[in-house]
Amino acid sequence: MSAERLSEQLEQIVLKRIAEDSLVLPTLPSVVTKALEVLKDPDVSFKQVGVIIERDPVLAARLLRSATSAAFSAGTRKVSLPEALTRLGAKAVRSLLVEATAQKVFLSRDPKIAESMKRLWQHSVAVATLSRDVLALSGNTDSEAAYLAGLLHDVGKPVIASMLLEFERQVTEVYNRPFIDSAEWIGVIGRTHRVVGVALAEKWQMPEQVTRCIRECAEYDNADRASLVNIVCFSNSLAKKTGIYAGTIDADEVDALVMIGRSIIGANDEIIKTLTRGLKERVAGLYD
Amino acid sequence: MATILTVDDSRSVRTIVSKQVRDLGFEVEEAEDGVQGLAKLGEREYDLVLLDVTMPNLDGPGMLAKMRELGNTTPVIMLTSESKRSVVSGVMKTGISDYILKPFKPEELRNKVLSVLQGESGAEEVLAVSAEPAAPAAPDPAAAAAARESTGKQFVDILVVDDMENVHKKLRGMLPEHLSLNGVTSAQAALQSCRQKVFKLVLVDTEIPDVDSAVLGQQLKVLQPHAAFVALALRTTNDVLSEVRGQGFNNVLFKPFSQDNIDDFLSQYFDNQDLLSADENVLRAAGFSGRPERMERYYGRIGETFPQVLNKVAAACFEDVVLDMTASPAGGERVLKFLLSAAEQAKQVGMRLAVVGTPELQKLMNSYTETQELHFFGSVQEARAAAEA
Repeated sequence: MSAERLSEQLEQIVLKRIAEDSLVLPTLPSVVTKALEVLKDPDVSFKQVGVIIERDPVLAARLLRSATSAAFSAGTRKVSLPEALTRLGAKAVRSLLVEATAQKVFLSRDPKIAESMKRLWQHSVAVATLSRDVLALSGNTDSEAAYLAGLLHDVGKPVIASMLLEFERQVTEVYNRPFIDSAEWIGVIGRTHRVVGVALAEKWQMPEQVTRCIRECAEYDNADRASLVNIVCFSNSLAKKTGIYAGTIDADEVDALVMIGRSIIGANDEIIKTLTRGLKERVAGLYD
Repeated sequence: MATILTVDDSRSVRTIVSKQVRDLGFEVEEAEDGVQGLAKLGEREYDLVLLDVTMPNLDGPGMLAKMRELGNTTPVIMLTSESKRSVVSGVMKTGISDYILKPFKPEELRNKVLSVLQGESGAEEVLAVSAEPAAPAAPDPAAAAAARESTGKQFVDILVVDDMENVHKKLRGMLPEHLSLNGVTSAQAALQSCRQKVFKLVLVDTEIPDVDSAVLGQQLKVLQPHAAFVALALRTTNDVLSEVRGQGFNNVLFKPFSQDNIDDFLSQYFDNQDLLSADENVLRAAGFSGRPERMERYYGRIGETFPQVLNKVAAACFEDVVLDMTASPAGGERVLKFLLSAAEQAKQVGMRLAVVGTPELQKLMNSYTETQELHFFGSVQEARAAAEA
């Protein structure tokens, strides 16, 4: 079987599994699911949320770290988890819970893809940070949705990459046949990651506009200039232009996306410089 | 005068574009499609082409390709409702200077047309290099003034973002009257204000509930790229200044406020010329509001500003300069030292100095031999009348 044919078949398998709802997707940990459920209550008790999150010490430590980095005015007094959650607020806590879960999707022990996945996570955090900042230009007020949409816009890629690894093992070890090359890998991932990302976002019950961004952010939305799709599309192109990306980029396409975005978003040279100034340093601490 | 060619199959678009281009002071000609556009380019030279994509007979990319093939290097701005990256990527490779998506705001057309005609391509690299340090960029007052003029937005000196209104009131009471201040109590109101106005200085409380001040600060910076950003924070045992700088702020102003801190703070962010303003050949010293111990600094700053302002008056060929000290306190030796220095500097540039002030100042000047010789008047009108006599 030729590599091209194999690549087509792999793509068909992925799409079929999605259509049949039989694609194995990462789930939200039960702690995160329960905490998100409680956080839906507008009169949420952060004490109750704290009790839930404490069952996952790693997650609790991450939230405490986020709260204390923003709370430098608190001095050296130790902050409890409920206090930390109160300081962060419900929106930020929700984002952090999803972010902690999403990062695990990008982690891989397989040496073939580990470094690429780490860089893809870095890119996702950069797009999330930029999306939240670009939002300020638009009049749209939902920072949380912008952040999550940017964070998850490529979440389908690590899922597909893991599937391809498994397929590769089966084809090479069980059937003793050659697998597709890296260019074909990239092609399969490129053609399928959005539909997988949408399936994952729906499974995680992400807001509809986040799911829409995952599906549509490859192109701008002319009809609604202030839409989150445009914000994420522009942020994605700026992150790539700044060099925060995994793999190779089509420089001409990225330049075109930046140029279109400057008009749609209303971003002049000064604004772009402000958006990208120190971006690598600003997001560096958020990788770990 | 620059002449611009607008190529679009829509008459209404051509009409709108033509009007806006003429309003900028340029001449404009029109073409309905790529064929007509090429014909016009064959007849004469243009300084810029505004080119649609979708047109009958010969579309925008086709006309552009033909132009470049014929060696025509006239700058082109794509003015189109097409936003597909493959289409735009294609024309970028052929060679365009910028891109405007329809419908467009007049400001965008104006800014991009002027930018291209002035030789600054919108397609050039504008990204801040990631290797630059992440330290907050220093505010740029000159660029801020230019931005203020180009956007036509209301200018306000200071924006305070703090959920406690008492903080706004307290600060207002401690600032000189000539500084304008807006106070908002939420992140959303801050973003809204920053979209509508231009600020010189933005103060952001680090304790607003449910708000990450670093995130909000970064969002506001996108809207106010020339403003200085200062965190409002409580004193702790930590190195708060390092912490706020790590969060992207230029500085910190501690709460609760003290007048000393406010005065120090203002001296860092507000132009010395605020203390001495010029109206033709009349230089007016601003009032002083602060503790008597700060008066040395007040006169020091006026003294630092004086030469620059005096030179502007001299450059305007005035023979007399009137120094209006009516609003200033009669501050003993300090004011006399300044007046003597001012008179000497005026003499050096060939001008005569007249001092206008209060009776207390006149009494002070008359009690010292050195300053008795200076020309003193009770009002600017008297000083001007004497100069004309």
